[in-house]
Order: sequence, then C-alpha cells, then structure tokens
Amino acid sequence: MVKLIHIEFLKLRRRKLVWLMLLAALFMPVLGVFYFTDMGKVIEAMTFYKWAAFSYTQWIILPVVLGILCTMLMYEENRNNTLAQLWIVPISKLKLFISKLAIILIYSLCFMAITAIISLLCAVSISCAKFSLDSSLFLFGKCLEVGILAAFSMLPILAVATAGKGYILPICVALIYAFLGFILLMINMYLHPLSSMSAIVSRDIPGVVLNQALNIPVAFLCIALWGVASVIFANTALKARM
Amino acid sequence: MRLLLWAERQKLRRSKIVWIAVFATVMAAVIVFAQGQFSYSGEKYISGAEWFMTAAQSLGTFFVLPAVIALLGGYMICREEQEDTLKSLKIIPINEMRLTFAKMIMTLFYSVFIYLLLFIITLLVEVALHYEDLTFEIIGRFLKMYLLNGVCVFLAISPIIALTARLKKSYWLSLVFTEIYSFAGLFASTLGSLRAFYPIVAVFNLSGYYNATPGEMVISAASLLACVAAASFILITDVVKKRIITLHKIISCE
Repeated sequence: MVKLIHIEFLKLRRRKLVWLMLLAALFMPVLGVFYFTDMGKVIEAMTFYKWAAFSYTQWIILPVVLGILCTMLMYEENRNNTLAQLWIVPISKLKLFISKLAIILIYSLCFMAITAIISLLCAVSISCAKFSLDSSLFLFGKCLEVGILAAFSMLPILAVATAGKGYILPICVALIYAFLGFILLMINMYLHPLSSMSAIVSRDIPGVVLNQALNIPVAFLCIALWGVASVIFANTALKARM
Repeated sequence: MRLLLWAERQKLRRSKIVWIAVFATVMAAVIVFAQGQFSYSGEKYISGAEWFMTAAQSLGTFFVLPAVIALLGGYMICREEQEDTLKSLKIIPINEMRLTFAKMIMTLFYSVFIYLLLFIITLLVEVALHYEDLTFEIIGRFLKMYLLNGVCVFLAISPIIALTARLKKSYWLSLVFTEIYSFAGLFASTLGSLRAFYPIVAVFNLSGYYNATPGEMVISAASLLACVAAASFILITDVVKKRIITLHKIISCE
C-alpha cells in the first residue's frame, strides 16, 4: 500500500498544475488582508481566521480543487492507458482506489496547512487584536480537521471520476457537488458530506451560528454513508471495466 | 467560416459535453431552488415573485456557469490536439486562426444557450409558483438580462479560453482559474465604485442585474472590451509566433 502511494506521488511530481493549484489556498487570506485593511478597523485574530480559513476556503475552494485533483488522478490513468498495465501486475482495484484517496488526503492536508500558515502571517501583517498562541493552535487544529474531513467528503467525486473515462462529467459533477454542499449548509446540513463537514468543523468556532441543531454523530454518519457507497460504486465500476 | 462552424457543430453533436453542460445548468437551477426553501423572517425565499429568476443568474454565474462555459470552450480547442486531428486539419489546409475563431463563436453560442436554458427553467418555475405576479414586461426584462449575461460572460472569460487555445494542454489550469475568477466576483461586487472594473461584475452591470450608473456602464463595457482585446492579442501573437517558427524551419532546411 505504501509503495502504491509512493508511486502515486512519483506520478504527480511531474505535474506542475497540481502544485500550482495549491496557490488557491492563498486566495481567502490575501483577500482578507485587503478587505479588513479597507475597513480600517482592528479586528480579532479569530474573526480573521473565520474569514480566511473557515468560510469559502472550506465551502467552495478546497472542494473544487480536490474535485479537479480527483478527476485528474483518474483521467491521467485512462489517458495514458496505464490502468490496463496495473491490472496485469496485478494490483487490487480497491487498493488502487485507496491509494488515490491517500493522495487526496495528503494534498488536502497540505492545502489546509498552507491556508493556516498564510492566514497566520496575514493576521500578523494586519496586526489583529487578541493574537495568541491558543488562537494560532486552534487555527492549525481546525485546518487539520478540515483537511481530513474534506478528503473523505470528496469520495463521491473520486468514485465518479473512477467510473468514467473522460474528465468533463466528473469536473461538472465536482462543481455542482461543491455548490450543493454550500447551499445545503443553510437548508439541511446532514444530507451532503461537505455540509456535514462544515457542521462538524463549526461546532466550537466562536460566533458561528448554524441554522440547524448541531448533531455531530449524524454528520459523521452522513460522510461515512456517502464514503462507503462511493467505495462500493468505484470498486464495482473498476471491476466492470475489466 | 460557415463551413468551419458547421463542422464544429457536427463534432459536438457526437460528443456528450453539451448534455453534460445542460445537466450542470439544470442542477444549478435545482440547487438555487433548494436555497429558496430557506426561510427568512418566517417566509421562504422562493415565495417571493422574481426571487428565483434573480438568484439563479447571480449564483449560477458566481459559482458554476463560467467554469462550465470555459470547460466547453477549452474542450473544443484542446480535443484537436489530444485526438491528434490538428495535423489532418492543417494538411487540408485550414487556417488555425480561423479554426480557433470558429471555436470561439461556438463557445459564445453555447454560452448564450446555457443562459437561455437557465432562463426557461426559472421562468417555468416562476409561472408555476407566481403566475399572477408575472407580466410580459418582467419576463422581457429577465430574458434581456439572461441573454446579455450569456454574451458578456463569454466576453469576460474569453482571455482564459484564448490562453487555453495557446497552451493547448492547460484546460485544467483554465478551469481552476475561471472558477476562482468568477467566484472572486462575489467579493468584487462589494468594492463600491471600483466594482465596475471587474469583468464578472461588469457582466451584471451591463445586463441590468445591478442598477449601474451611466459611468459604471461605460467602465464595465470598457472592461469587457479589454477582455476581448486581451483574448485577441493572445490568439494573434500565438499565430504570429507559430508562423515565425515555421519560417525559421524552412530557412534552416534550405
């Protein structure tokens, strides 16, 4: 398994875009600097972190970037016809899928780590009030949470990308999926893995008011159910392709 | 040119991409409808007449549709390279500049088509929910908005599509960039008088979604013209560069 993940990394090493996409992590923190500087008020570090790391970064930007990565990982295998060679080795279909998930997980963690570091630096640059070690550790802890949960929440997109050979459908599904997760956050958080992820992450962020009563086990159950269904679907689709 | 446009249409007829774009548009409408179930002060958003038609165009434009249109344009351009048909086309010979131009026109057509489809979906829902509140004046106003959105969104993203045409294999990058570019419009719309400069906000100023002053309208039109100029510059310099390379090859062979 470790070897498979290592090989996946070697494949990604040559793809510059994968590394370029990490720049999207800078979007909300940098925008926050302009936004709060323009406001001319001294804001608390936690308010800045909520803007930079716990809002659109986790609702839209990270899911879209991960959706593109999921599609890219599977599409490149199809395009270069390497799947057929992998089956000859032979490599278990489930293991291949899990190795791709591991890449998504590591990438998601890197993305959120960059978000956390940049948010911290931006908060320092605009001299946020109540800047402390505790708030910084809280930021890193939450980013770690988002990184892990987002990867598992994107399993349905990885499954869709695995089932097809093209890149157009999974990309469109990823866009719709991210948009739906964002909208359902206001309507029913426990239907969609991404909105469930937001519910879990928001549980102890000060000042966040949710539209529904918070139920952490149900949110985890939602992510788990979608995840299991996705793994079964991907495994069946890969077997059917043989 | 007509032949090139016909050929592009024939190529797309066999491809699933148009159906996928239709699916994305329908889903965007469904999601906005779901948002309409959200209650504010005891009343659902969707209960307000015109809410659905208003919200679908803005949410769709900020989150989904420009990326789908860029994907469609990028796909049309990149497939010639990917499926290795570009060489055959050059042998005919077909002018690459005219070919790209035909593909851009097809993308414009599909951009308008996507917005028109969204208009029809939202109109049907509004007719079903608020039949008595709708007038021909309202329908005509929204139809104009959606059509202008379709044209202007294409103009706003044309530099990205042109860049895809130039770099050929960069459709992933163009997709990420378009998504962030359209999503940033959400924040750019809060910039006060400066917002008219941002192309995605300019789209809404020109379509009539925002109540723009004549000055803002002029700035928005200039912003979109700048996008078209940027796209033309990218495409023309690409063709010139290729011609110079070919000329060099011919000279070195001789």
